[in-house]
Amino acid sequence: MTQHIPSGGTDGARPTFSRVCVIGSGVMGAGIAAQIANAGVPVLLLDRKADGADPNALANDAIARALKTDPAPFMDPAAAKLITTGNIDDDLARVAECDWVVEVIIERLDLKQALYRRLDAVHRPGTPISSNTSTIPLARLVEGLPARFTRDFLITHFFNPPRYMRLLEIVTGPTTDPAHVGAVTDFCDRWLGKSVVRAKDTAGFIANRIGTFWMQAAARVAVDHGLTVEQVDTIIGRPFGIPKTGVFGLLDLVGIDLMPHISASMKSLLAAGDRYHAFADDLPLIGKMIEGGYTGRKGKGGFYRINKAGGGKVKESIDLATGAYAVSERFALPPGAGDMAGLLAANDRFGAYARKVMGETLAYAASLVPEISDDIVGIDKAMELGFNWKKGPFALIDQIGAAKLAALLRQEGIAVPALVEAVGDGRFYQDRDGVTRAFGVDGGWHPVARAEGVILLEDFRKGGKPVLSSRSGALWDIGDGVACFEITTKMNTFDESVMAILEKSIAHVGEHFKALVLYSDATHFSAGANLGLAAFAANMAAWGEIRKLIVRGQAVYKTLKYAPFPVVAAPAGMALGGGCEIVLHADAVQAHAESYIGLVECGVGLVPGWGGCGEMLDRLRADPHTAGGPMPPTREVFEMIATARVSKSAAEARRMHILRDRDGITMNRDRLLADAKMLALSLVEGYRSPPKPEFHLAGAGGKLALDMAVEGMARQGIATPHDVTVAGKLAFILTGGAHDSTENVTEEDMLELERAAFLELIQSIPTLDRIEHMLETGKPLRN
Amino acid sequence: MNSVVIAGYARSPFQLARKGQFVRTRPDDIAAQVVRALVERTGVAPEEIEDLILGCAFPEGEQGFNLGRIVALLSDLPLSVGGVTVNRFCGSSMQSVHMAAGAIRMGAGEVFICAGVESMTRIPMGGFNPLPNPALYKKRPGAYMDMGITAENVARTYEIGRAEQEAFALRSQARTRDAVAAGRLEAEIVPIQTRDGVVSVDGCPRPDTNAEGLAGLKPAFDAAHGTVTAGTSSPLTDGAASVLVCSEAYADRKGLPKLARIRSIAISGCAPEVMGLGPILSSRKALERAGIAIGDVGVVELNEAFASQSIACVRELGVRDETLNIDGGAIALGHPLGATGARIVGKAAQLLGREGARYALATQCIGGGQGIATVLERI
Repeated sequence: MTQHIPSGGTDGARPTFSRVCVIGSGVMGAGIAAQIANAGVPVLLLDRKADGADPNALANDAIARALKTDPAPFMDPAAAKLITTGNIDDDLARVAECDWVVEVIIERLDLKQALYRRLDAVHRPGTPISSNTSTIPLARLVEGLPARFTRDFLITHFFNPPRYMRLLEIVTGPTTDPAHVGAVTDFCDRWLGKSVVRAKDTAGFIANRIGTFWMQAAARVAVDHGLTVEQVDTIIGRPFGIPKTGVFGLLDLVGIDLMPHISASMKSLLAAGDRYHAFADDLPLIGKMIEGGYTGRKGKGGFYRINKAGGGKVKESIDLATGAYAVSERFALPPGAGDMAGLLAANDRFGAYARKVMGETLAYAASLVPEISDDIVGIDKAMELGFNWKKGPFALIDQIGAAKLAALLRQEGIAVPALVEAVGDGRFYQDRDGVTRAFGVDGGWHPVARAEGVILLEDFRKGGKPVLSSRSGALWDIGDGVACFEITTKMNTFDESVMAILEKSIAHVGEHFKALVLYSDATHFSAGANLGLAAFAANMAAWGEIRKLIVRGQAVYKTLKYAPFPVVAAPAGMALGGGCEIVLHADAVQAHAESYIGLVECGVGLVPGWGGCGEMLDRLRADPHTAGGPMPPTREVFEMIATARVSKSAAEARRMHILRDRDGITMNRDRLLADAKMLALSLVEGYRSPPKPEFHLAGAGGKLALDMAVEGMARQGIATPHDVTVAGKLAFILTGGAHDSTENVTEEDMLELERAAFLELIQSIPTLDRIEHMLETGKPLRN
Repeated sequence: MNSVVIAGYARSPFQLARKGQFVRTRPDDIAAQVVRALVERTGVAPEEIEDLILGCAFPEGEQGFNLGRIVALLSDLPLSVGGVTVNRFCGSSMQSVHMAAGAIRMGAGEVFICAGVESMTRIPMGGFNPLPNPALYKKRPGAYMDMGITAENVARTYEIGRAEQEAFALRSQARTRDAVAAGRLEAEIVPIQTRDGVVSVDGCPRPDTNAEGLAGLKPAFDAAHGTVTAGTSSPLTDGAASVLVCSEAYADRKGLPKLARIRSIAISGCAPEVMGLGPILSSRKALERAGIAIGDVGVVELNEAFASQSIACVRELGVRDETLNIDGGAIALGHPLGATGARIVGKAAQLLGREGARYALATQCIGGGQGIATVLERI
């Protein structure tokens, strides 16, 4: 079961809603139900009554499917047990047991209205009901429904997949009870981890209004300009901070068959003068593709396809003019035109395309304030979280320069929106005195307020300087006597310089602070040790240097562990190898729900070298569920490390014993630092550093048992020859090396075993091959 | 000397380990319900039972604490009844029968419960703390050899190909399917109360198994050269079995049913690397001690640890197909290590009456390189 120290709360805080009903168990409904269950909140999932023996078959099948879906809607399969299934005919009255009802049925006004009438008869008045509609205006949804119903009604628009997409748009009607908006917002923010954006009741709300405009424009202009799909995706992707799937790759992902529905609904809802109509007609090619089953990745392929004919796997792309597939060719922008500024200034057809599409898109976005959102902040947030743009339209305009954009628009014959005119040669965002202010439609500047309980290091960076810093890390004062250490290397990897600033920080915190949090605003907490440096040192046979780094890392991590103040690690995203080991050395962990943590050293032919083996053993044997005797903890740790297993969520990290019972999980990424700080403060009073563990390990007999198991796996074709070697070293460490089973093995003994194994392995050719292969391809070499 | 008879047979349903219906049920709780049912069904006077001899291959964890005594107490046998745990791996509960038979012969008790149990879900094969002796491993690696590899060794030595193994597995599934369909297994099964409800049917058989499906499976133990698959091996299983063993005179006196008389028993050893051949020598010894030939035997219960070793034993012993595992074998039914011996002795005794044969042979192979065999005679 997922356990939480809820955001902004304390131990034992209860969620805003204690039971939620989700009606409709399609991909979105099941996904929303799963995310609510992920938060530890019981769900009633209803769908139509099925013919046959099981009247709840639709909802039951949806859960079974969700359990098999990758990426997984559930953070822990056990969360599925929190979902009770039912059907609308027999069980609708049970909505009265629920504190919030989410409707996620098919996008048909008549069916939704019919359901609402039935809901009106059974639901507990004063509890919110929301629709996940993405296309139907709220005003139409509640037409003809009584006031007691419209008071309770709002739109909560989730993005697919609901677990992973952080955006939630909330739309209210004129009579929606403001208390509901507060309660739903609070629940979705703290418990479901969503960033809530208020949108107006207009077609497509915010993200889809701008996003589909952008996609339609990009596709249509591409045909007009005679560009290939690779060219389009390269131009419209990375240079603008947009995912490399660009437009066509994204359409393949979303499902090409959805496009005609969306554009039809937008066309019917938007006013005649809306710029959307200029690009609203689907490419004729799309109709043919859908007819032929080319609906994208879920179908036979889309704008891209993988041709498996002849046993191979060849990536192909479609010719936008003829519809024929040919081998996909990589496209690189000419030198000097690879970034946004260069591209927008380029005097070729690629520059012309970028100017047209992004000019149209940014102008469209700027023309929609306040029609779809009262402020620019909501629009940027929606595009950043709903379409994974690094920067929303207004932040992009700031990067280009508003005045420059205005000039570009004039040159392209695109109307310059009033808001862009108004900001003149200023910026849409300004940082002053540590406060960010955003330009408003009133021509004034308004502070961008963080929600209560949200802290980001970014805010401290705006307002001041770190207490300590180097090129590799920094120590920040985050208030109330708590310091925060962040790594600032690429992918937050560890090297000698990170160890140096970390060591200095630990000493400083000991003198000037009460507690320390390890945290980074970056997507990933840490990718572990810097493999590139390790390979470089190994190629020069600088074994002494490598040894020094191992010894140093071990010493610094143990200093951290036994420091006279509490340390809380707050991982989010990946925490691998050395990044996992530092988490293991903290007194407590406050992890983001999406934490992918693991000791992955064996993948590159190494073993954990910075204390990971001992820390994992200590965790396993402390668990009362571990069977007695020396082998069960050893076996479990061995299996986890030898297979380089990485958790697919914080909940799974808890199952893997990387997180302990007292550790917390934060659903909302933006609340992680605040939660970690609170956890650290809760440990300050009466803090004592942990006692040093002593291990009782199995010795030679235990190692033999593990070796035999690995040999079996090698025969089964699961383990490669070098896996057997690496696993043998790992087995030696985890069974206490040469110690007899009656002898105590100290923490220092464990470190020495790790060091010896690590140094032996890094001097072996197959390990170096693995490291080089990983650096070159990003994939493990199975040698 | 006292003649020894089998006077009752009962077992739990057998369930797949880790995914069957006994996953959440303790092995001692399963065994106790089987023992209690055996006592009730046979009508034996509990206070006259000398001992509960319980076979178990990995007697630790929930199978620890002298499981024999624990099960005696759990099943509310009188306190005067003893309890002992016996381990000869897969041969454990056939060994229970042999020990009871020996004791009865020498007048050291008249009536025994011989049972066996294994939860391969809750106590892993190899135990929680496998600590093999490195010196022995060096000298004799086969001592700890994976059972699947011994099955591969037998297949190679006897040139038993995949197709032949798969045909044997299909036969096992078919015999089991027919037995289940005809209700021939119902009488021996004791419904078991679990936390999640009552379980009263076997969970291992795959009645839909077909040749194509079997042919599509990957080798389970040796990816490069193997012929043994999950489909031609007995599955990891949870379950318990028991037989009532007493002197013939006692049975006559108390009016207990005499299913079969124990004619002879035998133990033998063989190379651990081909442990599956164990039944060959032990069966020959037992048949010789009974003064009969394999041609005289109308019912053979040969434990199907693997198809390959079963085929090798059938070939070497000259077992006729129509006498072999008439109601199916372990490939379909499952093989809860400690429980299997009691099942096949009980089954052989039951079949003697049903099939009208004179002699039955129950035999099995044992990890580490042994065989065990029992010859029964219809009364």
